Amino acid sequence: MSAPFRIDLRDVSTFPTRRDEAWRWSDFRRVVSSPAAPAPEIAAPEPGGPFAAIEASETAFANGRLPDGDATAYLTLDGGVHRLRFVTQADASGWQAGVRILVPDGASVVLLETYESSGGAYVANAALTFHLEDGASLERIVLMDEPADAVSVSTATVELKPGARFAQTVVATGARLQRHETHLEHPGQGVEVRMDGLYLLDGSRHADLTTVLTHTGGGETRQMCKGVVTGQARAVFQGKIEVRPGADGTDARMRHDALLLSDRAEVDAKPELEIYADDVQCAHGNTVGALDDEALFYIRSRGVPEVEAKILLTQAFVGEVVDRIGFEPAREIVGPWVAQRLEALV
Amino acid sequence: MAAVTETIRTVQGLEADKYLHGFVTDIEQEFAPKGLDESTVRFISEKKGEPEWMLAWRLDAFERWQAMEEPDWAKVHYPKIDYQDLYYYAAPKKKPQLNSLDEVDPDLLATYAKLGIPLREQAVLAGVINSPRVAVDAVFDSVSVATTFKAELAKAGVIFMPISEALKEHPELVRKYLGSVVPVSDNYFACLNSAVFSDGSFVYVPPGVRCPMELSTYFRINAQSTGQFERTLIIADRGSYVSYLEGCTAPMRDENQLHAAVVELVVLEDAQIKYSTVQNWYPGDAEGRGGIYNFVTKRADCREARAKVSWTQVETGSAVTWKYPSCILRGDESQGEFYSIAVTNGRQQADTGTKMIHLGKNTRSRIISKGISAGKSSNTYRGLVSSHAKAKGARNFTQCDSLLIGKECGAHTVPYVEAKNAHSVFEHEATTTRLSDDQLFYCRSRGLSAEESVALLVNGFVRDVLQELPMEFAVEAQKLVAVSLEGSVG
Amino acid sequence: MLSIKNLHVSVEETTPILHGLSLDVPAGEVHAVMGPNGAGKSTLSYTIAGREGYEVTDGSILLDGEDLLALSADQRAAKGVFLSFQYPLEIPGVPALTFIRTALNAQRKARGELEVPAPEFLKKVRAAAASLKMDFDMLRRGLNVGFSGGEKKRMEILQMAMLEPRLLILDETDSGLDIDALRIVAEGVNAMRAPDRSMLVITHYQRLLDYIKPDKVHVLAKGRIVASGGPELALTLEKEGYDRIVAEAA
Repeated sequence: MSAPFRIDLRDVSTFPTRRDEAWRWSDFRRVVSSPAAPAPEIAAPEPGGPFAAIEASETAFANGRLPDGDATAYLTLDGGVHRLRFVTQADASGWQAGVRILVPDGASVVLLETYESSGGAYVANAALTFHLEDGASLERIVLMDEPADAVSVSTATVELKPGARFAQTVVATGARLQRHETHLEHPGQGVEVRMDGLYLLDGSRHADLTTVLTHTGGGETRQMCKGVVTGQARAVFQGKIEVRPGADGTDARMRHDALLLSDRAEVDAKPELEIYADDVQCAHGNTVGALDDEALFYIRSRGVPEVEAKILLTQAFVGEVVDRIGFEPAREIVGPWVAQRLEALV
Repeated sequence: MAAVTETIRTVQGLEADKYLHGFVTDIEQEFAPKGLDESTVRFISEKKGEPEWMLAWRLDAFERWQAMEEPDWAKVHYPKIDYQDLYYYAAPKKKPQLNSLDEVDPDLLATYAKLGIPLREQAVLAGVINSPRVAVDAVFDSVSVATTFKAELAKAGVIFMPISEALKEHPELVRKYLGSVVPVSDNYFACLNSAVFSDGSFVYVPPGVRCPMELSTYFRINAQSTGQFERTLIIADRGSYVSYLEGCTAPMRDENQLHAAVVELVVLEDAQIKYSTVQNWYPGDAEGRGGIYNFVTKRADCREARAKVSWTQVETGSAVTWKYPSCILRGDESQGEFYSIAVTNGRQQADTGTKMIHLGKNTRSRIISKGISAGKSSNTYRGLVSSHAKAKGARNFTQCDSLLIGKECGAHTVPYVEAKNAHSVFEHEATTTRLSDDQLFYCRSRGLSAEESVALLVNGFVRDVLQELPMEFAVEAQKLVAVSLEGSVG
Repeated sequence: MLSIKNLHVSVEETTPILHGLSLDVPAGEVHAVMGPNGAGKSTLSYTIAGREGYEVTDGSILLDGEDLLALSADQRAAKGVFLSFQYPLEIPGVPALTFIRTALNAQRKARGELEVPAPEFLKKVRAAAASLKMDFDMLRRGLNVGFSGGEKKRMEILQMAMLEPRLLILDETDSGLDIDALRIVAEGVNAMRAPDRSMLVITHYQRLLDYIKPDKVHVLAKGRIVASGGPELALTLEKEGYDRIVAEAA
């Protein structure tokens, strides 16, 4: 599962099923059983989206199309803040789009990537590639806010040159099936990687955060994924860290912690280590459980009512992921955005 | 510390050949015709004088097996097995009288003596007073050659005999439980085993009985080109307790040999089974020639409330291991434990772990896995922890540590967690590290040699699991770990 | 103020832990409850505070005539019950300041009072922290996370000072404290003494009572109060141990 599955919405034989190990908990073909009709052309959206308050340049796809009709964007980002938006207004149809992003030598960029829709049972398939040159730095913040009927897959591959820094925070609220997948090759040589995720799911939503990190030359990776799941929702976390022969000095830490608030909800996790070098320090931790009864009692014994106490604890639980967002203006938008959805969940 | 000294002494005392059990016993044997078809299945069943229903069961399994495909998801690689190029039955010609050990072929007795397995009760009894007594069932290739302490066990009501014998003496028990934990077509190797299994141990512990001694089965593969398909079935009736240990060795041969066993444990209300394995099949030579393919299905069914199963395994042998001793925690408040040490060296490949399936309320499980990879070997922990929606109050704790010795080996951790209710708590922690230079230096600065330092640190690494083994096997296992790692430093 | 009558409590459907415990603590008084391990001391404090899983099968607990058993833990807190935990919990991600302010305002809201303005709150917390010799920066970190045993106990007393409860329950507050920390904590508690406030000091050892002088001492054994007396009873227990008094009561 080192290379991502290439789904072509026109060809059912490319649709993964649960018999494909990398898709064992997210059966794509079960929810999309026939080729998707092309989504209609729609007008380009007004600039903005969830991150409208932040001054930034913008690339927006409307049903998978750029304003000039192309389905692939080639972006060279040499600094500042850029919004990348995937806006969908479609039903019983789909789109696929590609984005290739280059961050040149020494450039430092923030990418605010959003998946937006006002509703509809669409199928979306976005494929992104990131290429960071020497000493380049990219912080990628992804908000996936899609309708409960939608199927949405976003797959990214990341290539890093020496001294590059890549940080990612994905916030997913699920859909009928929503999958965010990242494949990253870590060459060591001063590269730093942070790979965070957060999911907040209710109803019968399904979100799948999958990451495959390959260390080829040592170096450091930090990964923290958290989630809160209620109703009949289902969360999937698959995190794989592979350390190739010779990647000595690798120091990789992965954590996944999930809160299950309902007996009909489900969390499936596979935190995986595949190590072929000996001078390494790798660790992963995984917990799935309910809110801590004792902590809940402690807070209530100080006079805080049950629902508020639960909100306080869940906010604290997910807050750690939000706090790791480096770009403060984005953190200040994501924080309340997450808090609002959490209150609806608890 | 005494045990560590012991380990070091053992390592130092070794000759060039580190696999101690690689000799061949020259004994006249009887084989089934090479290859596998329906007549092979009928041959085995007839040799065992089995009832009609058993033959039908086997033939059904064989039919299903032919429609199945060999699994390929484990992180192990081996050339395709030619199932037609194997003997499915090999037995020493002189069949021992079951009631008298004196009639057992002296060559066989010598073999077990050489392996350190006491088959003579008086030899055991002649030992130090209060030394632990262990009842042994010795399986040589396809048949059980001796079972000790049967009379004394019978006094307590415990049935301990080869499963081929149990089929004759207690057919109702065998028929009731055989295949009830591992269904015939559960997986490719289990299905093959169901068709051609030749022997193995059968244990039944009646209600409320605490088995008066450790039970143990000693498996020996001797014949060439022979697959061993043993079948073990243990039933702990309500409120009973039994501790069972199996050991395995095989001669050094250039060819790979197949061992596809099935172990089924049935645990009823308030009963407990402690199952320990010291697996030391021939691992092949340093270049990866020869060695056993150890493809084993082990599963325990905690069928009723408060049943408890504890799997402890020390895996040092085999060229390829594919093995996941599992617990189905069906009864409320039932408990499953899995303690594992897996050591791979040379070109060995191990893909091993456990499954904890939480179905009942307030079920508990605990997994402690210690993997050590050296040489050019590959060592994978693969585990599943799942909770059903009704398994409220389920708890799991998993600790999975891997240690790498050398630059050419691999250590992998592949846990699957599936949580389906808001009242279970699953915790998993895993680490992969190499022996710390600082610790090695510290040991050496106190006067220990490189090898002694490694032995000391490795012993520390696996200590949590060794403590779970019955006393008399813990030291044995500790030595084995050190022996398996010999030559991995430097 | 606090009136407990014939209290029977079971935990998780097992054997009853308290059976027939009665106790009265008038307003303004400090009562000590002493007892050997396993006597039911923690069960008593959890039951008064309203922890789930502690099932009251008989009896009553009244605070100023009001039935506490009908109320949830947070409602009891709003009525003025405060339990200082033997093992205060660590709550990562919730700074102590946020925690105390949330609790204070929730209690005030429940009582129909207005929220405390932020500047006033901060001023008060600063003063309380200073008197307990606590570094104010600690209050910005996750509640009790990485705190020593002594720091956690001080944090309990700080919360107590901020929440101004009417009934204080100190559950083994001296455990894990060295002499200096014990003195600071005791001073904090003594500063809270007031005519309209009662305290229940639950402890195994007499040591804490050198610092927090009780008006009355009760001996809890086998789920009941088996003896009551003045402060001298604590000294007797210290000298003779629990065995004789428990045996006489049996």
